[in-house]
Amino acid sequence: MSFLELSGLRKSYGPVGARVAAVNGVDLAVASGSRTAIVGPSGCGKTTLLRLIAGFERPDAGSMELDGTLLAGPGSFVPAYRRPVGLVAQDGALFPHLSIAANIGFGIARDTPDRQARIPELIRLVGLDEAFLQRRPHQLSGGQQQRVALARALARKPRLMLLDEPFSALDTGLRAAMRKTVAGVLEAAGVTTILVTHDQEEALSFADQVAVMRAGALMQAGAPRDLYLRPRDRMVAEFLGEAIILTARVADGHAHCILGAIPVDRDAQHQTAEILLRPEQIGLQPDQAGGASAVVTDSEFSGPTCTLTVEVASGAGEAGTLVLRHPSAGAPQVGTRIRLTVSGSAHLLS
Amino acid sequence: MKSIISTPVLCALAAMLVAAPVMAQDREIVVYNAQHESLAKEWAAGFTRDTGIKVTLRNGSDSEFSNQIVAEGKASPADVFLTENSPAMTQVEQAGLFAQVDPDTLALVEDQYRPSSGQWIGIAARSTVFAYNKTKLTEDQLPKSLLDLADPQWKGRWGASPSGPDFQAIVSALLQLKGEEATAGWLKAMKANFKAYRGNNTVLKAVNTGEIDGGIIYHYYWFGDRARTAENSNEVELHYFRNGDPGAFVSISGGGVLASSKHPQEAQAFLKWIVGKAGQQVLRDGTSYEYTVGKGEASNAALVPLEDLQAPRIDPHTLNSRKVTDLMTDAGLL
Amino acid sequence: MQASADSTLIAASASRRRRTAPSRLSWIGLAAVLVTLLALIPLGFILWVTVQTGWETATALIFRPRVGELLVNTLLLEVLAVPACAVLSVALAWLTERSDLPGARLWAWLCVAPLAVPAFIHSYAWVSIVPGLNGLSAGALVSVLAYFPFLYLPVSAALRRLDPALEDAAAALGHGPWSVFFRVVLPQLRLALCGGALLVGLHLLAEYGLFVFVRFDTFTTAIVDQFQSTFNGPAANMLAGVLIACCFALLALEMLARGDERYARVGFGAARRLVPASLGRATWPCLLLFALVALLSLGVPFYTIARWLLAGGLQVWRLDEISAALGHTTVLALGGALLATLAAIPMAWLSIRAPGRLQRVLEGCNYMVGALPGVVVALALVTLTVRYLLPLYQTLATILVAYMLMFLPRAIISLRASIAQAPVELEQAAMNLGRKPLDALWSTTIRLSAPGAAAGMALVALGILNELTATQMLAPNGTRTLALAFWAYSGEIDYAAAAPYALIMVAASLPLTWLLYVQSKKMAGQ
Repeated sequence: MSFLELSGLRKSYGPVGARVAAVNGVDLAVASGSRTAIVGPSGCGKTTLLRLIAGFERPDAGSMELDGTLLAGPGSFVPAYRRPVGLVAQDGALFPHLSIAANIGFGIARDTPDRQARIPELIRLVGLDEAFLQRRPHQLSGGQQQRVALARALARKPRLMLLDEPFSALDTGLRAAMRKTVAGVLEAAGVTTILVTHDQEEALSFADQVAVMRAGALMQAGAPRDLYLRPRDRMVAEFLGEAIILTARVADGHAHCILGAIPVDRDAQHQTAEILLRPEQIGLQPDQAGGASAVVTDSEFSGPTCTLTVEVASGAGEAGTLVLRHPSAGAPQVGTRIRLTVSGSAHLLS
Repeated sequence: MKSIISTPVLCALAAMLVAAPVMAQDREIVVYNAQHESLAKEWAAGFTRDTGIKVTLRNGSDSEFSNQIVAEGKASPADVFLTENSPAMTQVEQAGLFAQVDPDTLALVEDQYRPSSGQWIGIAARSTVFAYNKTKLTEDQLPKSLLDLADPQWKGRWGASPSGPDFQAIVSALLQLKGEEATAGWLKAMKANFKAYRGNNTVLKAVNTGEIDGGIIYHYYWFGDRARTAENSNEVELHYFRNGDPGAFVSISGGGVLASSKHPQEAQAFLKWIVGKAGQQVLRDGTSYEYTVGKGEASNAALVPLEDLQAPRIDPHTLNSRKVTDLMTDAGLL
Repeated sequence: MQASADSTLIAASASRRRRTAPSRLSWIGLAAVLVTLLALIPLGFILWVTVQTGWETATALIFRPRVGELLVNTLLLEVLAVPACAVLSVALAWLTERSDLPGARLWAWLCVAPLAVPAFIHSYAWVSIVPGLNGLSAGALVSVLAYFPFLYLPVSAALRRLDPALEDAAAALGHGPWSVFFRVVLPQLRLALCGGALLVGLHLLAEYGLFVFVRFDTFTTAIVDQFQSTFNGPAANMLAGVLIACCFALLALEMLARGDERYARVGFGAARRLVPASLGRATWPCLLLFALVALLSLGVPFYTIARWLLAGGLQVWRLDEISAALGHTTVLALGGALLATLAAIPMAWLSIRAPGRLQRVLEGCNYMVGALPGVVVALALVTLTVRYLLPLYQTLATILVAYMLMFLPRAIISLRASIAQAPVELEQAAMNLGRKPLDALWSTTIRLSAPGAAAGMALVALGILNELTATQMLAPNGTRTLALAFWAYSGEIDYAAAAPYALIMVAASLPLTWLLYVQSKKMAGQ
């Protein structure tokens, strides 16, 4: 039995007759204490899904259970303020008219006995100094505001924490550090977490379970590694990272393509299919070594790595262009003839 | 800043300041009119029709204008001053700002309706009345004197328009007849007893709806409303105090020509026209229902004759407007 | 008097554009100082008259029971009407901006439209229907109906700009809808509420006609009474002094209430699309509320005007008189609007391009004068011209200056908003192309801010169209505006003859009010 269970959730917007489904039949199970990332391009419905879970919106159909309690279903709906669900919004959404202390204490009932003690406790928990408590939100940096927002959300001891792209507005350097801090704090608190993001790298590094959404539907959900290496289709593959997708004929556990015969991860016979390779699986060797022969046709320098365009010409007369990344140091010049080798196995896309 | 304003804009502004139609003052007289606007408009239209002289009216109230003329002094733009009551005339006269009224004009008006000084002249007359709601009061419940209204039994039952010149003229008569101390005491009692309205018409309307039992106004508001739709007077009857009571006071509306007038002839002609046959006929036949004051000019037949009103004898000369506003300000009525 | 509320609307946009250009400060600064000195004349004059009157007379005239009565009246009126306006406006604004109320856009416009009906016509309508209506409760009722849009406008604009993420955050922290409203939404409306309440409060102090109809005495009616009895006597001037003190007390109160809090969005993400709150079964009662407000604030005046027009028939349409009044009103409104806008240019330019202490002081002075009731400005100018500047006495110039002083803040606000939109680089480019500084200013920024100037002129014209007391006291001989004609007829209880003027004033005000509505939407970024 999972902790959070969504089944057949639907939500549409717009006037009658021209309604657009933002969430179109989503089923998802989240294990207790886990971290799930919902990832997808903007407009895929992930924010609406989050708002449904938070209770800001009432689903048109489907049901939602949290630890055995029905939150939403046919004829029943628990509003946001009665759900044990915390939220950290994109820009923190701190109340500008309240001090940091009042912001953090906002969710703690006034008659809670240890209210005054918990506020400094919470701010220390997110790694900020108590001196911040007397300040106003606009006196804090973006990262500090997000920490306060997290402390504020934790104050209510929620059973489920929703993070709505909380790192997207931060600088690149700060983002990774914040991600680690937040993951650590939530893990220590033992709170089940759902992160919504459009950044696949963030999703993969943060979560135990990643769910990819597109056009209101959940395409695939699973462990990050599984999803990255064994995506169900081309869209999921491309969304989660750079993908090299080749047409191949599959036989005897191998895919036969312009790069030669590559072992595949599942068996199929004599099928023409698409296979997925990640760029890091492809190695460049000097000419005369083994592997498929290719010529570098373009090279774009971008600091530590180069983006190389290579043209593969296989013996069978088939030709193809691949885009690869290579460390800048020792990258081959345009016009150089090289050999391409593949490590690991190829994933057969369905 | 001027240099950045484009020439056309400047020209337009200058043209408006100098040549605005609102200000045109060529060959016409300016009349500071405290009389009813409708009556003054009738007079002005008739005068212009008969003489071709244009009349520009500035409308206001008696003591506003008398004080204004005193403040303006010799520079007053007014040629003629018309009032509803005489105290304001006296004030201007005492400031020495009136020219003598032409003897021909003076001869047209009964002696008792003009001051002996000949500095100004009566143009119409009106009587104080107690207008009462006949469903609320029977004849034996009516006050015998204006002074009775200070009695606590009248608390909250009567109204007046203390900011208007009419009522202030009535107070000036009271002051003249009973002295300062009695007047101040009566005003104080009035403040506690009465309900304040703005305008005699409003008082009449309130009496008609029964908001108050009665009110102190002039007679012609009632006649005027009766002649129109009686909408504000069909429940109202008039009570004349008579017996020389301060409440039987007959007020003289005055007219005078300012010494500083740049069009004295036209101004004198206007005054003469008003107290002459044509002007007094407007009073008799028109909708104003004020009494005529011209020799041999009958008032509207519907009115109770002036001679029957037993008004107190007061020389209009002696009515003091400034003292009255001071006393009323002290009593908290203004 | 529009000023204070509008200024809060655009303060944010103005501050973002602050630049300095000291080279032109001297000329324009000088012009701004001159305008401000002119604006301070009425205030200074009343103070001077007070001093001249002598301590004994002054105290006798100020500390008397009548003044106490007027103070109590004024206080009670403010205490009743301002909070009522605030509660009503917040409720209406929330429903039109945040709920799924059917026809919200139409209702929003109907909540602004009562401004097109001059306050004294509201009260004319009410006493026509309920003749006995009088006193404090009547005054407060009609004031609320006439003036609540002044609060509705800024509050609805502020609601539109509020970040809905804050409300979500509060809900996620366990606060129910009411708690969210009172603890998160309402505190953030504080600026808008303060500004709007100040505007309503000042209008209540300045209003004359409205309270005359319902027989409620305030300082303004008492000053006019005194004026009509004694012209510019000391009692009138002393009352004006107390009235000025009341205005300043309101200004100070607003400053205290406003505090130095910050209410802008913290953060950077784009505000999310709003999900309107579902009214559900409350839809009908809410619609009923709007229908009631529209009925009382628009239905009553329109019904009354129509009724009197029908009763009066064709003979109340005295076309010669009406066209003359229309002509006079047009001349005064256009002249006043033009003058106010020209005078506003230096101030508005300074506040965008060269903000600093001088600019803040000057602007503060102008708003203070704009807060003074027309009757005070007029009284000061009458006394001043009749005693010392006789050639200007009773001239068009004087009344236009009075209008300029009264409505300067409206012009400054509108101009400032549009100057803020014109980049300073254009001025620099023009100078680079060989234009002299003032010429460069004229040919770029001023030309570009023409739409704002036009909007400002319209708002000033709207004010002049409905102005009664200052016009009565200052107008040149023979002037008869629509408002004066209406007042003269209604004073003689000839309500039918007054009706055509009421109709024309409302008809002329409607497009100007529409402009105000559109402008407030624009300022809120929509």
